[in-house]
Amino acid sequence: MSDASVNRPAGIRRLARSLEVRMLGLALLIAVGLSLLSPYFLTQNNIFNILDQSVVIGIVAVGMTFVILTGGIDLSVGSVAGLTGIILGLALRDLPIPVAILAAVASGAFIGLVSGVLVAFFGLAPFVVTLGMMAIGRSLAYIFSGQTAISGIPDALSGIVYTTVLGIPANVIFLLLLYLAAWSYLTYTKGGRTIYAVGSNREAARAAGLNVLAYSILPYVISGALAAVAITFSIAQILSADPLAGNQMELDAIAAVVIGGASLAGGRGSIIGTLIGVLIMVMIRNGLNLLGVSPFWQGSAIGSIIILALLAERLFNWRSTH
Amino acid sequence: MSNPLFPADAPPALVARSVSKRFGSTQALSDASLEVRPGEVHGLLGANGAGKSSLSRIICGHVARDGGELLYRGAPLSPRSTREALDCGIALVAQETCLAPDLTVLENIFLPELGRAGRLSFPDLRRRATAILARLGREQALPLDAEVRSLSAAQRQLVEIAKALALNADLMIFDEPTASLSPAEVQHLFDIIGRLRDAGHALIFVSHRLEEVFSITDRVTILREGRTVAASLETARLTQADIIRHMVGRELGAIYATPGLDRAVAAGAPVLEVSNLSARPLVRDVSFTVRKGEILGIGGLIGAGRSEAMEAIFAMRPRDGGSIRLNGREIAIRRPIDAIRQGIGFVAEDRRAQNIVPDLSVRENLMLAHLGRHRGFGLGYRSRQARVARLLSELGLPPDRMDASLLTFSGGMQQKVIIARWLLIDPEVLILDEPTKGVDIGTRSAIYRILRDIADQGVAVVIISSDFEELLGVTERVVVMSDGMTIADLPTSILTEEKLTLLAAPRTSTRQNRALLETLARDYNAFAWWALLEDQALICLGAAEAQGAPPLNLRAGEARRNTETGIPAALAARDETIRTEPESGLRTLMVALRNARGHDLGWLGLTVAPGKALPDAARIRALTRDWQTDTHAEGDAA
Repeated sequence: MSDASVNRPAGIRRLARSLEVRMLGLALLIAVGLSLLSPYFLTQNNIFNILDQSVVIGIVAVGMTFVILTGGIDLSVGSVAGLTGIILGLALRDLPIPVAILAAVASGAFIGLVSGVLVAFFGLAPFVVTLGMMAIGRSLAYIFSGQTAISGIPDALSGIVYTTVLGIPANVIFLLLLYLAAWSYLTYTKGGRTIYAVGSNREAARAAGLNVLAYSILPYVISGALAAVAITFSIAQILSADPLAGNQMELDAIAAVVIGGASLAGGRGSIIGTLIGVLIMVMIRNGLNLLGVSPFWQGSAIGSIIILALLAERLFNWRSTH
Repeated sequence: MSNPLFPADAPPALVARSVSKRFGSTQALSDASLEVRPGEVHGLLGANGAGKSSLSRIICGHVARDGGELLYRGAPLSPRSTREALDCGIALVAQETCLAPDLTVLENIFLPELGRAGRLSFPDLRRRATAILARLGREQALPLDAEVRSLSAAQRQLVEIAKALALNADLMIFDEPTASLSPAEVQHLFDIIGRLRDAGHALIFVSHRLEEVFSITDRVTILREGRTVAASLETARLTQADIIRHMVGRELGAIYATPGLDRAVAAGAPVLEVSNLSARPLVRDVSFTVRKGEILGIGGLIGAGRSEAMEAIFAMRPRDGGSIRLNGREIAIRRPIDAIRQGIGFVAEDRRAQNIVPDLSVRENLMLAHLGRHRGFGLGYRSRQARVARLLSELGLPPDRMDASLLTFSGGMQQKVIIARWLLIDPEVLILDEPTKGVDIGTRSAIYRILRDIADQGVAVVIISSDFEELLGVTERVVVMSDGMTIADLPTSILTEEKLTLLAAPRTSTRQNRALLETLARDYNAFAWWALLEDQALICLGAAEAQGAPPLNLRAGEARRNTETGIPAALAARDETIRTEPESGLRTLMVALRNARGHDLGWLGLTVAPGKALPDAARIRALTRDWQTDTHAEGDAA
């Protein structure tokens, strides 16, 4: 009746049972491999590079984790980033920087709210709703921008990226604080646990009195808002808002969440796993650049690693359940 | 009713001998035997879980048997798939049809042929389909080009039957075929079954509707706990009581926590009162009351709407009528959390689908209702820690496995955790739907003891169970539901499994009969009643009382000795003349109700005060003929 192996696994086996640990192992493996292949990889400069490149995708991946935990998906993050970037660029013409950022983030949250209500209240398929939102967002980005990039962004905005605290750039600090906050929320609050419960068994969550509707909508709001936050950091670096910005960002974000061990069926996954997933993605891209691999091959490399990671995971689970 | 074309000594179409089947820890069949002749409708009967469905599914290749022997037309049969059984000529017409909803009727009838190589000739298929429907006498009932999606349940069933005939099925199993049909549609179906019998098909009719069994079957085989306890009895020689005796008849086990003599007395004030609850289509009129410290059972057959009624109370499904009162105050429950805040807990029937959150740990599963009720940003787990520790030791749960997945626990342990989830919020009312389903016998008795304990602590407990033995062993009172209505509310002490089975059997005629009783009571200022008579006792199935009518000691859903009723003389005489009680002078007229095949449906009685007028028997019989023909005549009414 009782499963003894669950009762007292050896220390190592217990660790290996945690998916984050396995993925961290994979990340280290990639790091070691790349540092052997390229002497430049492990330099301080390049490590900061990797962290810097992780910021935008990392922020979007947090929102995507929330959505995927409820069993949904948000395909619109790239377009929402593009659209809110344009809104930010336009707002910066007349408004002070904090107000402009707030306006962009609020528009992102509003788009997420619309998607969330359509999914959770009207019961439409998340895939279809956010696919529609993706098309609408990109189209509005072109219309609002007049089909060209908006330049003339005030230099002061770049402060949110290039200010350093103890030698660490502000955008990296923001990323780490965001992950800490998201992890605490998902682990230690009623809302966070409700998101897991909703994704794992919606019916049981409802029967236990949890607010299934609210916590099915909230992740889309967070995802939309964080897409705007992410594009703000991106614009602060290049000081230009492009209507095409954020193109295919949703694919990278979903890939990072999935590599981080989340189940697309919902209920399973973690914010730490997502961070590891983001780092794996960025390291691979960075390493391939260092090795001078053609950018056209990078898609194949990243795609293969995603599939191989999931395959290895499936085989591991087969072994442990059979 | 024997079929002249296929004499009784014809070789059987199907013989099953000592078939056994185990699903996990449940022995579904241990010694099931069945013999079906061509040209007969053979009833396969049994209580919930007796193995009717398992046996049908084995015969039609849906599942494989573990042991025993099947012979089909004298040759051994071991279908490995439904397809193989179909190729042999065995088809199942189930409650849930397995048709392709987007294809047309014609395509569905010939679905098995669509997969074959070669070209199909649609004009030819159309001709064959028309011929099949003509054989069934239903040419007009099915538009061949309609999409199956748009059809009614009865039409879909007809498509299933036509599909089986297109494959020349000789043996057809009808598994609860009338569950979703209206009375008129039932008549059409019986007409079709009659035609198939006359054409020499062997038909197995699985049902727990005794009235239907009496009106359509030639012989019956009765299963109990996976064994055949009565084989091939002729229906014409049976009474309802005979069948029920075979379906039940066994000793109560000793696994129940015996509460002692005071159990009926201990119950306190009403806590939860549900009146006229309705959640169509499955819940039509449900009323019951449960008192402090009492264990109330909700009995009935699968499909009677019991789970649906409880889900409606808990706002898990939309309600369209009725009121719920808690401690005398009407409460509005729009979402489950409203019920939880009022102190109502609900262990839903399907553990895996409705209760367990698989990705959360045992601890969090245990805390889930607490979390739902908790107001605040954090988790508030700490405040419950002491209570959790106490619950774990009370329920015998291992405190060191709180971080494991609940799925690694046995079914019984999972159920204990789910029950603990609700005990943690200190409910006033705890509703449990099939709390011991899939639970091993040891844990079952532990769960009974837990329920007894919490009732003794003052919780009002409601248990739904299809296991009548369990209901009788655990509860103080049983409310019986049938066809979405509560039809009886009886103290457990006067109940037996036989009576429960009889009360729970859905009666196509219940509603019409209620209306008739009310009309009669009003028209004659009488006490009108409908009852099944035994030698010295009766079971009242319905009663209606006009103002000024004599107050007989009869209540729907209750059993009485004849001497307790107030009209013993009439009951003893039981003829269709007006009888006057020697002591009280009450005047009673009783009319025997029989269906078209002469089966006993009980008696209808009218009792009036001394000296008041009564109609004659013929008048009442004329009134009752309507529903008797409607639901029981064999011919096609249309």
